[in-house]
Amino acid sequence: MRMVNFRTPYNAGRLALALAVVLLLGFFLLPNQLQSVFQEVGSPIGWVVSWPLRAVSGIQGGVADFWSSFVALQGAQEENLELRKELEQLKGQNSQLREAAAATARLTALLEFKGQEMFPMVAAQVIGRDTGNWYRAIILNKGESDGFRPDMGVVTPAGVVGRIVKTTAATSVVLLVTDPNNAIAGLVQRTRDEGIIEGTTSGLARLKYIPLLSTARAGDRVVTSGLVGGFPRGLSIGTITRIDKSEGALFQSAELIPEVDAGLVEEVLVIQSPNLQTESERSGTPKVKRKP
Amino acid sequence: MRTLVIAGLIAGLIPIQSVLLPHVAVWGVMPDLGLIVVCLAGFFGGELEGLLVGLAVGWIMGLFSAADLTVGMATKGIVGYLAGVAGRHIVYMTPVVLVLGLLAASCVSSLLTALVLTLNEQQDLWWALKTVVLPQAVFDGAVGGAFYWLAWSRLNIERFVSEYRT
Repeated sequence: MRMVNFRTPYNAGRLALALAVVLLLGFFLLPNQLQSVFQEVGSPIGWVVSWPLRAVSGIQGGVADFWSSFVALQGAQEENLELRKELEQLKGQNSQLREAAAATARLTALLEFKGQEMFPMVAAQVIGRDTGNWYRAIILNKGESDGFRPDMGVVTPAGVVGRIVKTTAATSVVLLVTDPNNAIAGLVQRTRDEGIIEGTTSGLARLKYIPLLSTARAGDRVVTSGLVGGFPRGLSIGTITRIDKSEGALFQSAELIPEVDAGLVEEVLVIQSPNLQTESERSGTPKVKRKP
Repeated sequence: MRTLVIAGLIAGLIPIQSVLLPHVAVWGVMPDLGLIVVCLAGFFGGELEGLLVGLAVGWIMGLFSAADLTVGMATKGIVGYLAGVAGRHIVYMTPVVLVLGLLAASCVSSLLTALVLTLNEQQDLWWALKTVVLPQAVFDGAVGGAFYWLAWSRLNIERFVSEYRT
């Protein structure tokens, strides 16, 4: 047992108390304004901290690569054979889909249907996870200086990963599609029923507000509807595993398995949709429309 | 000099918390090294230092989290201040006292966060208690206690503490 002298100068204690009270009042009275101020001021600090973050992430990635390349190769031959079989099946499906795509292109041209605009995408690397335990989020190695802004959609070739919620000069925080606080507009690909996709506390996702008369069933794929947020229509989100219909409810909901396992994602694509509001535009007063 | 050391410590804390600790997470919960640092700064440095370090750690960690910046700053600042107040009244510091202190501080911080954050309807207070607050408090106490015991038994922490406080 050791004896330690913990006494501090009396004035420091009073100063701390006064500072704590002022800051707490500020946090409670002006939360949004202070949030914006600290986010703006913290942007260059985020750039500085991103360097050790990238360094540690690089070392960790190197160790993980070494492990997966040389040590964890047991069963690779069996996996290779399985993948070859799957490849053969996919080749067959691919030729059918090419035919269907060609037919769609011909019909689209005939109807003079305006195709959906595709936004440019920028690749980014995952360099970390959320520093807290409350949200499921990942950190990207690119930020405001690369044109990233809050609400931009983040995807991989397999499907939707999440959306950006916070940026610094050199990093971005992406809230995953499996987080219960996330909401993405989606639709059931087969039935075209729209709804809102939220994460669940068990790490899956849920499509809410499906109409009661919908014939959606397990196995149906859910894609982005493109109506709200930074996602164009048709990006894969997940597959329905269960439909929940409670008595007296106005809507049904469906449990999904997301297409992307966010725990294994290393590289992502950020959709640079041009029509999103900036942080200051969102927190500021709405602009008055000018009369023509 | 002390400010530089603390700034360096915080800058080093983020990669460990964000890159390495997710690998040791149990049921998706990992210890909050920032909170441990804030508590130790409060214990050894007093209220003002605890508050300032808490605000700084909460701010920088908030930049790399989806949580509101101000919530992290407020909770860690309060915990740092309370650790400073507790430090004035504790005469004998043992690993057991530190573990219990960290357990309490972690519970206070997490409960404040759960109450202040606008969490989803699925995430009620009971959910927060059993999935985040209590597991994280146990983790924080264990990691902080182990660190303190290691520092006390292997390093000359008494000299470090007296130098830190002068």
